[in-house]
Amino acid sequence: MSDPIPATEDEFRRLCEFLYRRTGMIFTEVKRYYVERRMFERMLATGAGSFASYFARLRSDVNGEIEQFINTLTVNETYFYREDHQLQCMTSDLLRERLRVKRAGEPIRIWSVPCSTGEEPYSIAIWLLENWPEVDQHNIEIVGSDIDTRVMEAAQEGYFGKRSLMRLSPALIAKYFVDLGDERWRILDELRQSVRFTPANLVEPGGTGLHGQFDIVFCRNVLIYFDEASRRTAAENLFENLSSGGFLCLGHSESMSRISPLFDVCRYSDAIVYQRPLGATHV
Amino acid sequence: MGAEGLKSASGDTRWAAARQLAKDPSGVTELASALAVESDPRVREALFTSLAHIQTPEAVAAILSHLRSPDAAVRAGALDVLNTMPEAVAGQLPGLLADPDPDVRLLVCDIVRRLPSAVASRYLCALLEREALPNVCAAAVEALSEVGDESALPYLARCAERFATEPFLVFSIQIVSHRIAGDGRTRGSQSA
Amino acid sequence: MSEKPRVLIIDDAGLTRAYYRDILERAGYQVEEALNGVEAMEKLLQSEVDFMIVDVNMPQMDGISFLKTLRRQALPLGSTPAVVASTEAEGHDIAAARAAGANHYLVKPLREDVLLQYAALLSGRPA
Repeated sequence: MSDPIPATEDEFRRLCEFLYRRTGMIFTEVKRYYVERRMFERMLATGAGSFASYFARLRSDVNGEIEQFINTLTVNETYFYREDHQLQCMTSDLLRERLRVKRAGEPIRIWSVPCSTGEEPYSIAIWLLENWPEVDQHNIEIVGSDIDTRVMEAAQEGYFGKRSLMRLSPALIAKYFVDLGDERWRILDELRQSVRFTPANLVEPGGTGLHGQFDIVFCRNVLIYFDEASRRTAAENLFENLSSGGFLCLGHSESMSRISPLFDVCRYSDAIVYQRPLGATHV
Repeated sequence: MGAEGLKSASGDTRWAAARQLAKDPSGVTELASALAVESDPRVREALFTSLAHIQTPEAVAAILSHLRSPDAAVRAGALDVLNTMPEAVAGQLPGLLADPDPDVRLLVCDIVRRLPSAVASRYLCALLEREALPNVCAAAVEALSEVGDESALPYLARCAERFATEPFLVFSIQIVSHRIAGDGRTRGSQSA
Repeated sequence: MSEKPRVLIIDDAGLTRAYYRDILERAGYQVEEALNGVEAMEKLLQSEVDFMIVDVNMPQMDGISFLKTLRRQALPLGSTPAVVASTEAEGHDIAAARAAGANHYLVKPLREDVLLQYAALLSGRPA
């Protein structure tokens, strides 16, 4: 294909507004080139000859086009220490906030949902060991959940390839993984035993109640795939799974602003996070 | 815990009761009565969501009635939940677009936006032809900016003419008409 | 003094935001946008503005709930001046907006001269 005609200002805005309304993803002018390239990829793949015909296809979700487009916009891949500014936020601010209101000895509960093949919950464990001096003084429980039981079995097994470890330093890899050769590694048994894996369906009303309440929940890059009704149910489930005053972390291009008014917005130096208000549900 | 939880003094208990009733179509009456008096916005969200899950005509009617609320937060809550279920209210939209209450007509334009483009465009154009209030027309024009096609252009032009003394509406129609006409041009050149 | 006054437009309608933006930018304001109260909170917590124009009917968090939330924030953020612009002329929104901490209340559709008059008033610069 010859170089595509750039989208007009107006077309770009329309696309962004639609994506924002439909997925909750926010793209600013800074990301314009990136979003346009992805759109042209999809226009090429679908044979759409103009912005108008592609936009019509996207709006009507022909052959699951919305999901296809989201897939090109997000790195649909999980790896250790992905979006680590939120992990930084957890150790520099969120845990301290939680400890202020918790009783001494009460466990700190952290949930990774969806946890996919385990990179995120294990990253949380490693990050805490590396970056939180108090880690040994607390009883920390890390739970990973996913609707797909096959990926959770893989998570429990704890085998990883080179791409999963790309963001970790050789020192960290040597410290927490056994090198099996052939670019395969297995996470240390001690870490495997530090994370509990359980199935969970975020879009079933009350479907996550059995998991109990958490101090911090990581729910990244999944709500964007849900339609408006499912996102609403997922937000209510997540709200129930947070302790009063607990924190929710979404993916970096996600915002709760299109999803739900249930949470308070909190800003810390490393991230914007969402909080279940302290105390009763009353506003 | 059953429907009596909806009357608890504790917001947490009411929230839990509201969510539990999502799976119980017989709970519509209780959910609707609770919604009418609930003052906690978060519990109200859960009540709306459970009614949306039940989605019987009674449940839909209970939600729709809150579009008429004098409280902006209640109207927003009703509209948000209706926007998650456009198919369930699709049949009532033409009637709501002709509702005597201008706030209802205005809010409903946002639900229409979620219908398939051709139907949405037809409803909105019909509204533009008869609507007397500029703010309601503006809401229809806003929705047409996403769903409108060439067939909407004459309706937009007539609306702009009728409200020539409303700069905001003239401005909006100009942008949307340009968008639609511009799209037509691109399509023409591509097929050539 | 040479810095442009910053305004946050909070309105879910893209055309309304475009209209305000057009007028305010021509008059030398720096314009930010948010599509509802939740997004407005996200933006304001990252970067404060001199004043805001707030719509009433918006998804997820309406303008009045937004003002209530904002007015509970620490100063100076919590006292950011706000004009509420509503489509509803009947009156219950006016009382609610005042109670929630709106500095002014206007009925849509806004005209350029009115918008600029209130922008000047709230940013403390000559009209």
